[in-house]
Amino acid sequence: MSRTLTVVGDINAVDTRTLLTAQGSVSTPSLVVPAGMKKIIKVIATAAADALADDGSVIFILRLGGSAVLGGEQVIVFGGLGNQTVQTGSDAAPSIGIPFQLDDVDIDISPSDTVSISAEAAGVDPGDTALAVTLVFA
Amino acid sequence: MPKQYRTREGTITAVSTKTQLSTLGSETAPGPLLVPANAKTLKAVISAFGCDLSVAADGAYIIRLEGSGLPEGPETLTIGSSGVPVATGGVYAMKANRVELDIPVTPSNEILIFAENTGEDTGSTTVGVTLEFGM
Repeated sequence: MSRTLTVVGDINAVDTRTLLTAQGSVSTPSLVVPAGMKKIIKVIATAAADALADDGSVIFILRLGGSAVLGGEQVIVFGGLGNQTVQTGSDAAPSIGIPFQLDDVDIDISPSDTVSISAEAAGVDPGDTALAVTLVFA
Repeated sequence: MPKQYRTREGTITAVSTKTQLSTLGSETAPGPLLVPANAKTLKAVISAFGCDLSVAADGAYIIRLEGSGLPEGPETLTIGSSGVPVATGGVYAMKANRVELDIPVTPSNEILIFAENTGEDTGSTTVGVTLEFGM
């Protein structure tokens, strides 16, 4: 049996730890690990930027912590993006965030405790970035 | 064991707003998506999206699964993201993504599928979701 938890957020500055606590139309979803769940078995993460800053080049780091994560904070690189000069013409390229899916995560967790999910963009600011992260518990 | 597949699609036009996926291409009213009889688990979710890139912005897309067909309660999944620096540029194509799960289901009960554009409003985004049931 598995359960899911999804959070979203925006990163608007590099090298800044950003807690992901929203969920679209749900402003404060529960971050409590569902009862009976003992592991994080998958992580799905995506990020895309508006590329409205020149010469952006970043990688994205996911941090999983909180009282539910046994063994301390776990840190995972899940993507990267870059852009040259801000484009203004009709040939501007989009930034498409195909989800990164890690299928064998195997992180021990404590059910009914709280998980803290944060992300960072490390490198040179590419503009605003939107992120979404799903944890699959079992 | 055999599997069964059920699909819905729809278009998101507002940010941070639950939008039910209730159509199926040429079928404008396919009716409720019911868990197949004898299904024991939601074994996987397959999703794809396409944004018209009509706004210079960036957003991430998630889906929600709700309804009496899910006895443990609602589930949520990340399906992707997009952004573009001008409202007049960009074209892309991508394959669907499959996430293997093992979520209990209640046969013959309904599952409602919703999609959302989180972050900034990126324009109009069409989302398709297939539920893969294990028997």
